[in-house]
Amino acid sequence: MTRHYIVLPAVAALAATAVLASGCSAGSRVASEDATKVACDIKTDKPITANVLAYNSTAIDPYTNTMVQSCTKGDVTLKHRPIDFAGQIQKTTATLAEDSGTYDIVETYGFALPDLAAQKKLVPLDGLIEKYSDKYALDEINADMTNGMSYDGKTYALPMQAQTYVMSYRKDIFDKLGLKPPTTFEELRAVAKKIQDSGEVKYPLALPWLASSDIATAYDSVMGSLGENLTDPKAKTANLDSPTSIKALEEMRSLLPYMDPEVTTFDQPAVQQQMYNGSAAISIMFSGRMNDLTMTSNSQYAEKTAFAPPPAVEKGGTLFNTLSIDGWSIPANTEVDEEALFQMMAASVSPKASRAAVPASYPAREGMVDSDSSPFADASNEAIKSAPATEPYPWTSRISIAVTPTIAKIILGEISVEDGAAKMQSTATKILADYR
Amino acid sequence: MRRRDFWVLMAPSLVVMFGLLAYPLYRTIRWSFERVQYGADGTWVGLDNYREALSDPRLIHATVFTVGLTLVASLLLVVLGYWLAYLVNQLGRTKPIVLGILLISYVVPQIVGATMFSWLFNSNFGGIVNHLVTEITGTEILWFTDPWANRVVILLNVLWFMLPFAMMVIIAGLQGVPHETMEAARIDGARGWRIHWHVIVPSIRGVLGFVCLISVMDILRVFDALIPLSPQAVGIGNESIMLYIYNVAFHDGGQQLGLGSAINVLLIVLIVVMLFPFIRDTAREANQ
Repeated sequence: MTRHYIVLPAVAALAATAVLASGCSAGSRVASEDATKVACDIKTDKPITANVLAYNSTAIDPYTNTMVQSCTKGDVTLKHRPIDFAGQIQKTTATLAEDSGTYDIVETYGFALPDLAAQKKLVPLDGLIEKYSDKYALDEINADMTNGMSYDGKTYALPMQAQTYVMSYRKDIFDKLGLKPPTTFEELRAVAKKIQDSGEVKYPLALPWLASSDIATAYDSVMGSLGENLTDPKAKTANLDSPTSIKALEEMRSLLPYMDPEVTTFDQPAVQQQMYNGSAAISIMFSGRMNDLTMTSNSQYAEKTAFAPPPAVEKGGTLFNTLSIDGWSIPANTEVDEEALFQMMAASVSPKASRAAVPASYPAREGMVDSDSSPFADASNEAIKSAPATEPYPWTSRISIAVTPTIAKIILGEISVEDGAAKMQSTATKILADYR
Repeated sequence: MRRRDFWVLMAPSLVVMFGLLAYPLYRTIRWSFERVQYGADGTWVGLDNYREALSDPRLIHATVFTVGLTLVASLLLVVLGYWLAYLVNQLGRTKPIVLGILLISYVVPQIVGATMFSWLFNSNFGGIVNHLVTEITGTEILWFTDPWANRVVILLNVLWFMLPFAMMVIIAGLQGVPHETMEAARIDGARGWRIHWHVIVPSIRGVLGFVCLISVMDILRVFDALIPLSPQAVGIGNESIMLYIYNVAFHDGGQQLGLGSAINVLLIVLIVVMLFPFIRDTAREANQ
């Protein structure tokens, strides 16, 4: 009796907690009910089941949901399971490796696409783009974004949306202190110092500098702003120990006094959180994160937040920025009809679907984003005009991943800028040897 | 039982054991001697992966960190688990409620629990512990970038997560200690810690050994909790062996499956070595 008396409530508590916990982490396996519906009529001789691999984010979800909701009918079934970005990268590598994969449509992005294309893991789409251009108004897709999804003269992904860095700032604090949005790093430091000195915010500047990933993107963006690429593609040499690289690293370190001392543990959600709770007054991150900052359900400061293009590192330079284009690709190892898959992808980036995705994302179509449709349209449009050129080479992602820990060590002061730059150069040179 | 019935009943277990244990172990060992990428046949490289692994300072750091965490956390789990079990075992009508509450941390998925736990120390997400420590000491502790402060956070999380299990097992052991033995000890004048040290602990030695066994096994494989608890694990030397394997073999689409497998084999050897005393003792207890 006593034993039952103890065990039953304990088991009940365990069961209840387990159910709650599993419910919290289960996620959703179906597209949002309120997804935008578009025309997606695919003629097929036999039933099609297609698996879609795309990570969940406010910028990508509108397209994925539209595709799954609109194209699943009759003999066509689309399946998409929620996954985070890191998980998607691993699954992409795994599904493209074998003769037959798990996924039939994969979301790719400009950084990773050249490596996949060079390995012939993706289907070239030029013929299909031409064939279905009229039906899905594909000629209205931004040509630069299509180029960003290309490698060696062929297009390997249908562009969906782009992201650039955008700066968000607390307009109330700026107005109170008589500040203007900074246009250079020097101004950024000055503005941050004034806010810090005023006592308004202890660490006014928030940047996603997670030591295991984002910090490499930031370094690449500073390099781009200073006018230098990570590598010289013709000579296949790295520029990571160049004077520009050293300046880039020093510029990054110069921002540290104005950021949370643990900034190297902050990814983009953490930076969003800093803006939500008012512990930062200026943030610079991808435009896909900006819509969340405008929602009053997220933050009491939502209506006090304004937007501007990111600053340039030096006056007159390209903006401290990076252009990341997302698109849909067809794996070379899919067994599903490629034309049917292409039409699903095209439907999801149709004019109606793209328009509905604003302001959560910046669609790949011309003229979709204006001040009527997005509170940060002007900042986004300005930023996208002055982003450093992309580096569509198969070695870019490998080098970037390999040097990330060293960049973090340099920023943290564990290794000198010069020694770190030399180490990065050595790492990159070894990787580039594979492509000579 | 007839031979046919025996095999019919055993077959599912054998299939599962072969498919989920034996075959993956065989592939891991084989890959550890090959250079392997997803979907491609491996290329035989002999001991190259082992040489590369053993010459990488990260493996040394990861091993020292993991073994250190395992030893300290296992010791604390046994001591605190015993203390908590003894206290809970004294309770009357409130025992089931207290037990239910204490067990919550053990049933929450580890990654979820670790994320919530990390928020206690993260001022960006509330950070109540951070706030209290700063209020009391006047200093701002960098829980995620200072190596030792971060180790404290990780250790506390391991204890928070595993203490309920240790407590439950030890409670079961305590309920098996004969009342006669306890009474005899008291009549002989044993009081306070002597009762525990000379009577209860020897009586539940097997149970404590089992707690150590499971603790060592679990903590040596610590992995997912470190994602939220130590986002800068690599940089500050708080990378566990499992996290190191993950980073080498899978992170950002990593392709070094051979190297990852070699480290995995080394981890299996380490686990066996560290578990050997407990397995031997458990086997002896079973024989007795």
